[in-house]
Amino acid sequence: MWFSTFLLKNLLRRKTRTLLTSCGVAVAVGTTIALLGLSESFENGTLSALEKRGIDIVIVERGVLDQLSSDLQENAVDYVAALPGVSKVEPALVELMGYTDPNTGNTINVLLQGWRTDSFQFAEFEIIEGRPLQEGDDKAILLGVTLAENVKKHAGDTFVLNEEELEVVGVFESFSTFESGGAIMPLKGLQAMSFREGSVTGFPVILEHGPGAPTVAEVAEQINQLKDNEGRSLNLLARPSREYTQEAMHIKMAHAMALMTSLIAVFVGGIGMLNTMIMSVVERVREISILRAIGWRKSRVVAMILGESLILSAVGGVLGAIGAVVLVSLLTKLPTVAGFMTGRIAPQVIFEGFLLALAVGMIGGLFPAYRAAQLMPSEGLRSE
Amino acid sequence: MKVIDDVLVRTEHLSKVYPDGNVNALCDVNVEIRRGEYVAIMGPSGSGKSTLLSMLGALDRPTSGEVYFEGERLSSMPSLDRFRSEKIGFVFQSFYLLPTLTALENVQIPMFESNRPVKERAAKAKELLASVGMSHRLHHLPSKLSVGERQRVAIARSLANDPVLLFGDEPTGNLDTKTAELILGLFAKLHDESGVTLVVVTHSDEVAARAERVIHIRDGQVVEDSHISTATTKIA
Repeated sequence: MWFSTFLLKNLLRRKTRTLLTSCGVAVAVGTTIALLGLSESFENGTLSALEKRGIDIVIVERGVLDQLSSDLQENAVDYVAALPGVSKVEPALVELMGYTDPNTGNTINVLLQGWRTDSFQFAEFEIIEGRPLQEGDDKAILLGVTLAENVKKHAGDTFVLNEEELEVVGVFESFSTFESGGAIMPLKGLQAMSFREGSVTGFPVILEHGPGAPTVAEVAEQINQLKDNEGRSLNLLARPSREYTQEAMHIKMAHAMALMTSLIAVFVGGIGMLNTMIMSVVERVREISILRAIGWRKSRVVAMILGESLILSAVGGVLGAIGAVVLVSLLTKLPTVAGFMTGRIAPQVIFEGFLLALAVGMIGGLFPAYRAAQLMPSEGLRSE
Repeated sequence: MKVIDDVLVRTEHLSKVYPDGNVNALCDVNVEIRRGEYVAIMGPSGSGKSTLLSMLGALDRPTSGEVYFEGERLSSMPSLDRFRSEKIGFVFQSFYLLPTLTALENVQIPMFESNRPVKERAAKAKELLASVGMSHRLHHLPSKLSVGERQRVAIARSLANDPVLLFGDEPTGNLDTKTAELILGLFAKLHDESGVTLVVVTHSDEVAARAERVIHIRDGQVVEDSHISTATTKIA
């Protein structure tokens, strides 16, 4: 008989308790994997929208926490475009507006982006219905495919936002979950609708790449120093795409909330494991005494308790990972979530979640194992 | 200094006080058990006989005094676990088999402390179970065995690591007369054929009658030490 067989038989002695404890760990680990996976998916969604278009730098207003709060003069684009090493730069306005379904009364948030109709950013879109935006389309909107499905709109329909009636000229599909879940309007139209004429929230920048071209850091530094013709700072903050994504306030908040919720879940899971293993030791004082009496070393008793606890947590880890993958896949299909994140969880997050499960098992089993090892062999036998 | 003679285990002014009840379970006990002896320890309930067995088998620490095994102090041994694993076997009144393990698996439990590979452990366990007449019940759980069969499995388990000293704590206490006879026969066979030193705590005159020597204990003190075939020594 293998030692591991012995541990499994011990655990199967209390099937219900074993199952419930594993489920407790599964909930903790599943919550962690799901939340961390979603927050990472959130970050990756933003980053991929930039990297796939070859955007090297994102410019926002200096000192703001989030691009949505950024407020820059649209004409700053000309100063940036004039810098050596800059290949393309576009003004962009991002707004978050609520859309209320006239039939159900449900409101969903729509991420609206205002681009010039000839923006290089359209290159990555596939128009699957209707047509692209054109010059003069100020009261027109292009819906992402996920949003169009959620609001049940097609090309030619009317879409009401901020009491403004907009014509759906087409439906597009993007590689970016964010974009497919949102909508694009002509820059002028969105500026007018949000009372922000001449104002944008940022500028995506593509640099020249080749021998002698300035580095991303060098161009970013030049952008940060830009002043207008009257010598006033343009108040621009340029950051490489990855750094911009990692530093974005909404992404940092998503990570922080995921981490805090996960820690609470893990703490609860750890307490559950501790309780189970302490109960297991208390119930088996005599049995452990017998094992010690027949020559088991303290270290083997520790290995037995920790081994049982690690098996419980490993089972919980597997159940939790499966649960998280299924749950996230289902949740991201909900209309309110579908446009913001994908249902995929990175394998690395699942692996980290599994390691976390083992850590819960180790922490939850350590004290009971120590208690068990301290039992004198005679302790459980004296009551006979 | 380690003294090697035919004394296997001896105690020197051994005392044990249990703090919870302030009970003097043992009081200045001096006994010697020689290699190959078959000794019964008798006495009324609470007399201290099981406590003495616990001290001799390194299951508990004395309050004062010392136990020597093959001339070496137990208190100075680096690992009492290893000592118990390699030198001692225990058979208990209530068998204490693990309920979820088969007879064959129960006998292998002490062998986790040896370096035997898995297959060898199973082979040794089969051999031991065969020696106690349990070959036909290898894969039965304790709940499917009679009490006599359980005790036979427990005896096989106690022999797993080839001990030189085997302790029995009321080994026939839960058995009917016929089964008890069978178990005592096994002990006698072990003693005669393998030369194992046997120390059995018992209330039973029948069990004691099988031993070569009987130590009577009362109120934590040895009151009589009698060799069956020689003169009885009364202790003042």
